[in-house]
Amino acid sequence: MELQSQEPVFPANKGYLKRKKFYNKMVVFFAFIAFVIGSFPVFHILYKAVAIGYKYLDWSFISTLPTGFPIGAEGGIFNAVIGDAYLIVIASILAIPIGIGTGLYLSLFGKKKANGVLRLLNELMLGIPSIVWGIVGFYIFSTNAGFGFHFGFSALAGGLTLGFIMTPIIALLTEQAVNQIPASYIEGALALGATKWQATQAVILKAALGGIFIGILLGVMNIIGQTAPLLFTNYYNTGMPTGVTGPGGAVGDLAMLIFIYIHEPSKILHYKAEAASVVLLLFIFAIDLGLRLINYLTKRFIL
Amino acid sequence: MFTLKYKDDLFKYILSVFVLAVVLIFLTAFIVILYYSYPAVIRYGISFLWVKEWNPPIKVFGALTFLAGTFIVTFLALIFAIPFSFGIGIFLQEYCPFFLRGILTVIIEMLAGIPSVVFGVWGVLTVVPWLRESVEPFFNAHFSSIPFLKVEENIGYGILAASIIVAFMILPIISSITKDSLASVPKLAKDGALAMGATRLEVIRNVSLPYALSGIYGGIILGFGRAVGETIAVVLLIGNQAVVPKSLFSVGYTISAMLANTFTFAVISPIYASAEVELALILLLTSLIVNIIGRNILNRVIGGRFNRSQFGGG
Repeated sequence: MELQSQEPVFPANKGYLKRKKFYNKMVVFFAFIAFVIGSFPVFHILYKAVAIGYKYLDWSFISTLPTGFPIGAEGGIFNAVIGDAYLIVIASILAIPIGIGTGLYLSLFGKKKANGVLRLLNELMLGIPSIVWGIVGFYIFSTNAGFGFHFGFSALAGGLTLGFIMTPIIALLTEQAVNQIPASYIEGALALGATKWQATQAVILKAALGGIFIGILLGVMNIIGQTAPLLFTNYYNTGMPTGVTGPGGAVGDLAMLIFIYIHEPSKILHYKAEAASVVLLLFIFAIDLGLRLINYLTKRFIL
Repeated sequence: MFTLKYKDDLFKYILSVFVLAVVLIFLTAFIVILYYSYPAVIRYGISFLWVKEWNPPIKVFGALTFLAGTFIVTFLALIFAIPFSFGIGIFLQEYCPFFLRGILTVIIEMLAGIPSVVFGVWGVLTVVPWLRESVEPFFNAHFSSIPFLKVEENIGYGILAASIIVAFMILPIISSITKDSLASVPKLAKDGALAMGATRLEVIRNVSLPYALSGIYGGIILGFGRAVGETIAVVLLIGNQAVVPKSLFSVGYTISAMLANTFTFAVISPIYASAEVELALILLLTSLIVNIIGRNILNRVIGGRFNRSQFGGG
């Protein structure tokens, strides 16, 4: 046995090995650079917004109505905060029942083929550009022609349009959450003679609650940043709404406020737009944190 | 027993009402757009797509300018975004140390959560001055003889500013889908290649990519769908002039920006409004086609699971 005289399986071509390790390192480097450039805006947007807007950021900025000339030069953004609350509540009233109902139907009763079509429908709704939703909302709710809703530019019209955007998100996440539940939970309940309604009550809703909440929060997070649909359904209001429909029914909205302020030829309003984006971003990141907390606590990793 | 069965049926019927509501919302949206664009579709026919003039007072409407703007911004954004999202996906899934993966993924998902209007403000206050003061003078000095890189007006706003921002907005979608597609590669195949002495790069190139490529195409298609409809950031950055852009630095107009700026004025004249809704119809049909293709691919490759980045922004 002359082990030492054996030829190595791979000829030790040093140059080749070195080269391929070098290529590998280069790709690591470029991938890392891509990541750094890709994540740069997150930090720079936050930094820029805080650096420009910090001098306006205090409690009175959030709790006072905009005043002065041009309107907003003094005072805060209370109209937008209240308006966002209106819009979220109205959108949720439409989207939460429809979304959860559709998601449950898809995962509990759907036949295979119909299920695929319905799912695709939800995904397509998710993909429709928000400006198109704005036009749809305008023709359904805001004009006097057409469907007989004479809401005008109002919180109800804007909120329901945002609800259309929110619905497929909740539906898809609810379905995903129910599908995450181990089949044995549901089958166990069904095997004990429970009907699907009883199984839903006792097992599915409890086990999927976290996922459903995640869907709702994601929906809220999405609509809070929407501006385009509100352009045609609920433009903007610098004061408090007097109702939810008709004249005086329009509400302020944070995203809309930022959009309008950045259009104005006034430095102060630009700064206030940045301050308002800090508030908006904080709100969004707070929701984001909530999502992750639910995801972590339920240990189901819906997303 | 009878009551239980009865309750179960009732439950099913109540749920079907909600499903019907979703179908109804979708159909209503589609029918509203079709119905209100019908007069313009009939009047201008297919030539709407290549007539350049958009002149409301004499009722001549053609979408070419806006179509050109939309697709140029979209393709530029894709060209900027694809290499970076590819790199990000590979970095997060293959190279990044395991303990960092979670936190770094969160950063990319945060990018997806930033609203369009905040991106627009950042563009106006950061990207546009940077383009105006550094990039455009540089190109003006060195590349002014190349027609596609000619700086006509040194204002910073324009195609380039808009497509940079849109690129950042579609980056999370494409990179997260790239990451998920790479994650769906069987571990055994990758481990086998590694055991045979392949470097990570060779594993990616010879094992992971052939497997994950169709998923990545799906991500790119969805990114295209998102970029086409992007409105608020584009309105703020593109310059809003109805010209067909001739160079990277010229101003332009997209369909979505046009709708955002003029739709509320258009509704006073039925045919004007109808022409605008026809623009929306183009957006709607594009998004539907793109999403049907993209979702089909993704349902096959990563099982249609949603990740955070697909729901972001407005």
